[in-house]
Amino acid sequence: MISITPERLAAYADGELDGETARAVETAIAADPALQAQVAAHRALKARLSAHFAPIAAQPVPERLRAAVFTPQEAEVVDIAAARARRERQMPRWTWIAGPALAASLALAFFGLGRDPAPTGPYAGGALAQALDDQLAATQRPDAPVRVLLSFRDAGGRFCRGFSGASKSGIACRDSAGWRLEKRFGGTERAATEYRQAGNEAADVLAAAQDMAAGPALDAPGEAAAAKRGWQ
Amino acid sequence: MPSQGFEQGVLALLPRLRRFATGLARDAADADDLCQMTIERALRSHGQWREGSRLDSWIYRIMRNIWIDEARARTRRGKTFVDPDQGLDVGAGGGQEESVELSQIDRALATLPSEQREAVLLVMVEGYSYREAAEIVGCPVGTLNSRLVRGRDALLGLLGEPA
Repeated sequence: MISITPERLAAYADGELDGETARAVETAIAADPALQAQVAAHRALKARLSAHFAPIAAQPVPERLRAAVFTPQEAEVVDIAAARARRERQMPRWTWIAGPALAASLALAFFGLGRDPAPTGPYAGGALAQALDDQLAATQRPDAPVRVLLSFRDAGGRFCRGFSGASKSGIACRDSAGWRLEKRFGGTERAATEYRQAGNEAADVLAAAQDMAAGPALDAPGEAAAAKRGWQ
Repeated sequence: MPSQGFEQGVLALLPRLRRFATGLARDAADADDLCQMTIERALRSHGQWREGSRLDSWIYRIMRNIWIDEARARTRRGKTFVDPDQGLDVGAGGGQEESVELSQIDRALATLPSEQREAVLLVMVEGYSYREAAEIVGCPVGTLNSRLVRGRDALLGLLGEPA
């Protein structure tokens, strides 16, 4: 008769024992309700624990983890505090501007859509050019006819600005001749669909900006400095 | 080396890795940071993985080692772990009763020494055999077995007999 230690009983309950030992344990517990109860308790706990954690494995995996699998690796991050600090540096790249920008363009759709002359040539003129020169995303008036969504530098080093207005949304980049219109999307002035439209335009501008930008969007001081230098 | 297969393999493991990370770290944000560090180290150490051996236990071992280092570093920094009384609702849950039940399990697990908790998680949650779990942890099978039993007994004591 083999001795029934707690370890051996657990191994039996987990199906870890080979045939001969398993049969010996089985014979021993068949005659002992207390041992049977221990096996049952072990298995019930196992079922309870796996049920407890199962929902996590069923959740969608956060995009940043999926992306990490395909990201070339740089230097090792030594601890979670550092990993979090790095993530927090990366995260705001577009989200910090996308949130306020979308909200602002929704406000635009609801409150007094101003009129700005639709840009015609390859360069912005009139009110749009003025807005691109002067308006800062951080300080512009909520009812400005053209909203600047963000500013950034493209791969060629030019300053570019994403804007959203009643008749046109798009991205213009500053060269020696003026604000060259690089991307254009429809305006926000569509009677029945203003709400949806405004959000879509801003999202289009941000997505296009993300493709064109050489780095993060300018923050408020960076934007102010660039404006002071005439965006060149 | 078919690197795409390696990355796809890691990708497929992510749901399970998040589950193990949550059991170890007991905080959802820490768990995902732990996952991220694990992914990054696995990619950097790709060359050390033997083709044909099990990718899952190799990566579990990486995660477990990172967590041990992290736990030591936190102790050195004097940072406390999550207060066991805080509990943590990790399950999908729904009703009030269910979430009380979930927190109870989290609190109970939090009281275990880490060597017992990892043994319990690997066998009773992740479904590894004693041999596989012992390889992940880097201890003899008998040691794993006895840590599991001690952890289990502590949990049964805290959680009571199952209904």
